[in-house]
Amino acid sequence: MSQGLNYEFLIDTFFVALSGISITLLVTIVSLIVALPLGFLLAMTRINRIPVIQRIAQIYVSFVRGTPIIIQIFIIYSSIPLILKAFFDKYNIQLDIYKINPIWYALIIFSFSTTALLIEVFRSALGTVKKEQLEAAYSVGLTTFQAYRRIIIQQVLVVALPNLCTTTVNLIKATSLGYAMSLPEITLNAKVAANMGYNYVEAYLDIFIIYLILCMTVEYIFKVLEKRLSKYKMANA
Amino acid sequence: MLEIKNVHKSFHKNAILKGVDLSIDKGDVVVILGPSGSGKTTLLRCINFLERADKGHASFGDIKVDLHHAKKKEIHAIRQKIAFVFQNYNLFTNKTALENVTEGLIIGRKIPRAEAIIRGKQALDKVGLSEKYNAYPIELSGGQQQRVGIARAVALNPDIILFDEPTSALDPELVGEVLSVMKAIAKEEGTTMLVVTHEISFAKEVANRVIFMDDGVVVEEGSPHEILVTPKEERTIRFLKRVIPKDYIYQI
Amino acid sequence: MVSVMEKYFDISYIWTALPSLLPFLKVTLFVSSITILSGTFLGLILTIFKLSHNRLLNKIGNGYTTIIRCTPSIVLLFLVYYGIPKLAEEFNVNLQNINTAIFVIITFTLQFAAIMSEVIRSAYQSIDKGQYEAAVSVGLSPFQAYWRIIFPQALVIALPNFGNGIIAVLQEGALAYTIGFIDIVGKANLMITNNINAHALEIYIALAIIYWALSLLIEKFFSMLEKTFSKGKKTLETT
Repeated sequence: MSQGLNYEFLIDTFFVALSGISITLLVTIVSLIVALPLGFLLAMTRINRIPVIQRIAQIYVSFVRGTPIIIQIFIIYSSIPLILKAFFDKYNIQLDIYKINPIWYALIIFSFSTTALLIEVFRSALGTVKKEQLEAAYSVGLTTFQAYRRIIIQQVLVVALPNLCTTTVNLIKATSLGYAMSLPEITLNAKVAANMGYNYVEAYLDIFIIYLILCMTVEYIFKVLEKRLSKYKMANA
Repeated sequence: MLEIKNVHKSFHKNAILKGVDLSIDKGDVVVILGPSGSGKTTLLRCINFLERADKGHASFGDIKVDLHHAKKKEIHAIRQKIAFVFQNYNLFTNKTALENVTEGLIIGRKIPRAEAIIRGKQALDKVGLSEKYNAYPIELSGGQQQRVGIARAVALNPDIILFDEPTSALDPELVGEVLSVMKAIAKEEGTTMLVVTHEISFAKEVANRVIFMDDGVVVEEGSPHEILVTPKEERTIRFLKRVIPKDYIYQI
Repeated sequence: MVSVMEKYFDISYIWTALPSLLPFLKVTLFVSSITILSGTFLGLILTIFKLSHNRLLNKIGNGYTTIIRCTPSIVLLFLVYYGIPKLAEEFNVNLQNINTAIFVIITFTLQFAAIMSEVIRSAYQSIDKGQYEAAVSVGLSPFQAYWRIIFPQALVIALPNFGNGIIAVLQEGALAYTIGFIDIVGKANLMITNNINAHALEIYIALAIIYWALSLLIEKFFSMLEKTFSKGKKTLETT
């Protein structure tokens, strides 16, 4: 017996799901704030071949790219309580590890993952910048720090922007896995509502629409950013 | 042998060819001169249907086509009679020199492989690349690549070879080797050639007809002597003044 | 501190878990292979849409890619798993007994096709138009030109991205367990519930090692392929 879609539920759940958007955005933005500078610095260590750190970075990136994010979530979500419990027991700290807000786990996991991905993005973007740019900067008296800040970074960003956009969109999608940590973001909220009346299709349609709007907005923002930053490229068009 | 009438072609709103007529007999070596934007390259590409003309007719021996409405079969038939040498060589980057030359023979003209290889090697020998049968384009200099391009065209044994500024993309010291190959093909093989070029020396030494085009029309045509030494039209004179050094006297 | 860790964490468990997990790797690989095949095929069709002169086809191709790229995997999984049977209900078709694997394959085919359509498109567009012109000028038909000249060159250009796409789809596939599919991840979760959640970390680490090894193998394989096919090219490193 077919029933069609329960439109009332569809609309109600939309707002329930929407309530999760603030957590989604919070986790995404904080992870990016952590991952962007860290990823850039570690990418530099790979380009400049700084001995030990370079190797560690390489293995780190290989691990993150080679394992599914859900497994990374499982591992970190299971291992941190163990480490913390051992730590608390040793120093007799009376905190209950089970009361820690899932958002801390989420922030750790997604910062960890995104940093690795950004190392790759920046590594390839840095590779496209010509050495002559740095040499010219030195020859007019800029220090390395100034050279990077005023000249190199803008060029790197322009090249990296499309990949940065993809990484951000992927990060937003990955936060949907936060339900595994009981993180009250979009997906979990809607799922909870769906479980009450078995209206799964409607719930997931709502989730789908929200992510779609969210991601398309992000893509639009990046497009505008790209146009702004690459003004210098259009000069001789 | 080849007759083109009333070719028109515009790109977006720019009219590039504004009614061009051209006729070529067997054995002719025709050079087209003209400033950039005059439509010379576009004319060549329309003949080979790399561009679709807006208007015009061509008759090739006993095949007659409407340049705008030509059908796939007609285009294919015409392309069997014409070979094209590109300004940027356009060698197949994933094939060796020999494979580049035999590709059209084996696949395009359905010639058996063994025979195609023999013909291919002969063509490469003719352009002086007997050592380079198995080289990939990336291993060859610009001049060598263009010579392979010419061998590729020659091996097809076409009725006419079209050359689109064959030396314009080459470093100056490599131009000579390509021009002498073209000269050899014209004189020794008697190939019919239609050449768009800036190399006046080629026009002087090898061509039997020169056409001057400007702004989408044929301004003047005649023998090399008539055009290069005694041009009649104002535009021709102006162009030649810019292109030929003043104290270089022609003796034809 | 060490003794507390020992109570909860047993490294040797990772080794003992492997024999139970590895047989299910076959399931994961089987489903992934089918996904890759069908996804590439669908991706090719989408690329043709995107490059066609027909505006409607363009919109469909690009719209599809955007929508799929903005949809999290589990959302897509659940929409397919619950949505398709519900849709079928409207036509009085009962899909209750279909193997979960089918839904897994459908979902990830849809996802992989979006990735592939971009891979194919950018490889195709990076090939000089002059190659096609030269091919038809020596008498090849358009089809022959594509098949003998354009396609081999596009293949080499696409290889690295194709490899990355495969690794990506393999990893997204790990989410299949959420609709009850018993591949290697599904088995791992079964084992964990059987153990009343003890030693979960060790099992997850075993899973991670398996996936990591698989990804490294795929990367090496594609590196090797690239070297074999790049006969006509020299990369910047050799100059």
